[in-house]
Amino acid sequence: MCECCVSNEKDIYLPQPATITKRRMLNGTELFLHLELDGGKELEYMPGQFVEVSLAGIGEAPISISSSPTQKGLELVIRNVGTLTRAIHKLQVGDKLGVRGPYGSTYPVEQAKGKDLVFICGGIGLVPQRSFIRYVLDHRDSYGKVTVLIGTKCFEMRLFREELAMWEERRDMRVMETIDEAHDCWSGNVGVVTTLIPKIEKDLPGSLVSICGPPVMYKFVLMALAEVDVPQDSTFVNLERKMKCGVGKCGHCQINQYYVCQEGPVFRYSDLAHVPEAI
Amino acid sequence: MSKPRVAIFDFACCEGCQLQIVNIEEEIIDLVGAVDVVEWREAMSEQSHEYDIAIIEGSITRPEDEHRVQIIRTRAKILIALGACATIGGVNKMKNNFDLNEVKRCVYGQDAGMPHLATTTTRAVHEVVDVDYKIHGCPIEGEEFKRIIRDLLLGKTPFVPNYPVCVECKERENVCRYEYNEICLGPIIRAGCGAPCPTAQWRCFGCRGLVDNPNVDAAQEVMEQYNLTLDDLKQKMVLFNSK
Amino acid sequence: MSVSTVSKDQFKQFVEALIRSDQRVVGVQQRNDRFVFDDLATADALRLDYDVTILSPRKYILPQKEPLLQFAAGESYTPVHEGAPMVLLGVHPYDMASINQMDQLFSQDEYDSHYMNRRQHITVIACDVVTPSENVFAASMGTATVEKGYDMLLTDIGDAYVVQAATDKGKALTNLMPQARPASEADLDKCRAVQEQNQQKLNQHVLECKPSYLPKLLEKNYEHPVWEEKARLCYSCGSCNQVCPTCYCFDVQDEVNWDLKSGTRYRAWDGCLLEDFATVAGDHNFRKNRSDRFRHRLYRKGKYVPGKIDGQIACVGCGRCITACTSNIANPVDVYNQLMKRTDIG
Repeated sequence: MCECCVSNEKDIYLPQPATITKRRMLNGTELFLHLELDGGKELEYMPGQFVEVSLAGIGEAPISISSSPTQKGLELVIRNVGTLTRAIHKLQVGDKLGVRGPYGSTYPVEQAKGKDLVFICGGIGLVPQRSFIRYVLDHRDSYGKVTVLIGTKCFEMRLFREELAMWEERRDMRVMETIDEAHDCWSGNVGVVTTLIPKIEKDLPGSLVSICGPPVMYKFVLMALAEVDVPQDSTFVNLERKMKCGVGKCGHCQINQYYVCQEGPVFRYSDLAHVPEAI
Repeated sequence: MSKPRVAIFDFACCEGCQLQIVNIEEEIIDLVGAVDVVEWREAMSEQSHEYDIAIIEGSITRPEDEHRVQIIRTRAKILIALGACATIGGVNKMKNNFDLNEVKRCVYGQDAGMPHLATTTTRAVHEVVDVDYKIHGCPIEGEEFKRIIRDLLLGKTPFVPNYPVCVECKERENVCRYEYNEICLGPIIRAGCGAPCPTAQWRCFGCRGLVDNPNVDAAQEVMEQYNLTLDDLKQKMVLFNSK
Repeated sequence: MSVSTVSKDQFKQFVEALIRSDQRVVGVQQRNDRFVFDDLATADALRLDYDVTILSPRKYILPQKEPLLQFAAGESYTPVHEGAPMVLLGVHPYDMASINQMDQLFSQDEYDSHYMNRRQHITVIACDVVTPSENVFAASMGTATVEKGYDMLLTDIGDAYVVQAATDKGKALTNLMPQARPASEADLDKCRAVQEQNQQKLNQHVLECKPSYLPKLLEKNYEHPVWEEKARLCYSCGSCNQVCPTCYCFDVQDEVNWDLKSGTRYRAWDGCLLEDFATVAGDHNFRKNRSDRFRHRLYRKGKYVPGKIDGQIACVGCGRCITACTSNIANPVDVYNQLMKRTDIG
């Protein structure tokens, strides 16, 4: 290696090895992992950011961070959808994977201070929002009312059940859940997540609203928010794209002028409302 | 973990793709180090009914072929179609452009009615049984074969391009055949070959089959720009891409 | 900057000396009826009178496939940096402009040491255009001549070259031209005349607005019939991406060795016109229609990339996409002019 490479010891494509310290299936397809970087290092991240997770020989994929920087280690939830995630699902505690990052924009944790917060989560949209929610709960006094709306396709797909039960017991937050399809074991709300919005309607206009879910969900949630006059500049969305390099070079995650891996994945909705490819 | 057992079978084909496997030469050692080859008529005499991966070369053209490939499918965990005859029917499908009896008469003359010469419409392997992976080409590329086998051993879905040959043809700095008013199938045919034919100043013959979503609607207008017709294009499709 | 003049014979001796030196020398050569950049074996093979090369020198600066990392068992990764000294001989001003843009894109924000390391080992000898190609429109894009980025610039003034050594690397090369003499006023006049002429001549397609208007023009025309009209004939073959000197999108793939543990992580050229470019896990394609992808390319060139590099338009007018497109729909000037016809850009 020559001189000028040595002077650039930071290689933006170089993963750091990490070890799986906990693993469990959250449902049939979602794997929860708790990781620790080798050498006792901590990843300095903020809620909303993502990492590129790597398995040598198989490849890399962008994965949202689900833990809060107020805790130790890194928590990820990985859906079994492709060749890399299938391989990650086979890993056990003690196995290693590579991690690069953190990358991307963060949830507005500072700007949100003192404000009432509403989190609207569809399916695995709860995963990155959990980072923000836990951060808020760990700095509870700095924030106003906290409301979490969660929509899941079916009963079996519900994520973080024990944690949700704990949240539901707290008096300093409100959690409302719904599932799309009725189920014998479910006595709660049935319907898509937008059906919960009328129940909190009066709290919405003054709140900071954070939305994350599958592409199809945004359109309907944003329409419902527009009806109750939630300002676009206090609404935040978290977008999924094919963030291949994570560092704003490879072009895959671009939506119109934005590189999601740099300007996103968290966007203020007012910045995206006129970006045709975004929502 | 025991090594995956691999069996290689041939149907209607020239066996040139198997020859491409033999041609990987010193890496054959790596291959047999990574897998147990339990049946491979072209290279060994043993046979086996116990295998995890079946590699099928050739197309399905006879009633007994259909039965045989169905049995292979029930035994194999992973079934791979190898080469154009298996993946798209290839040159064997030219037969489908003619009346079957006429074909038989033409090839076998007065013996055409003999039972062992029974023939059916040619089909690619996936038109008869489920195929898990396809290794395209006439013949296959040795490098691609090796990469796909290693990927499968690793549990990784092998990358197979879904873009046209033009991508690789441009990478090799070829001049588009259309600039010489010649038909080339490159714009609608799946890449992965590295465009050897246009590099040798031939057209793309189409041995890897169509990309998933070829722009067939554009063809007529584009052909006209080069004083060619849609029929000219269709004629060039007959060799590898008959229905 | 030192400016000298060498006769063409003396220049040939310089090229021979360069080839004998310990660095790789790549220059423009004829292949069949076109020109390409390739390793130079003799000075005679060099064709500085070429019109345009099939691929731009991007293939040396951001190779079609390059290793980023080697990996071994246990998630152990080692960076691979390729950086053998190389001289690129005969880079036209429009291609130099594209290299300057890539240099900025790969060094700003997140510093790409793979790109930058290779780039720092490359010495660029640029040359002013002698023969305009059939589709060049560099004059419309302000890239018919170039003022920076090269180590040395050659201008053909008939029986000699005017040689401007712009960097230390360039000046060091002039040591291989012992017979060079300081350029005379007359030589400099001829040199300026060539450049002024090129600013008129390299314009086979005339953009009817200043390039700096393009971001504004595009902003107003996201929904415009031209996207569908053109993309109707698009094969999504990515030829326009492949030949483009400013396209730099890439894919990353792992290739594993037979031990199934060690291997190499590569990056390879990718193209936004290809159907699966914006497809995410779960098979959702964010630019599903041909027209979405067709428009994206021209927006990238005229608006999105300029937004990252201080307004420089990411089309340098080489005209390669026009030649390479089988369906004859890729001409950026044609599209931009059609937008102009129906837009009041104020």
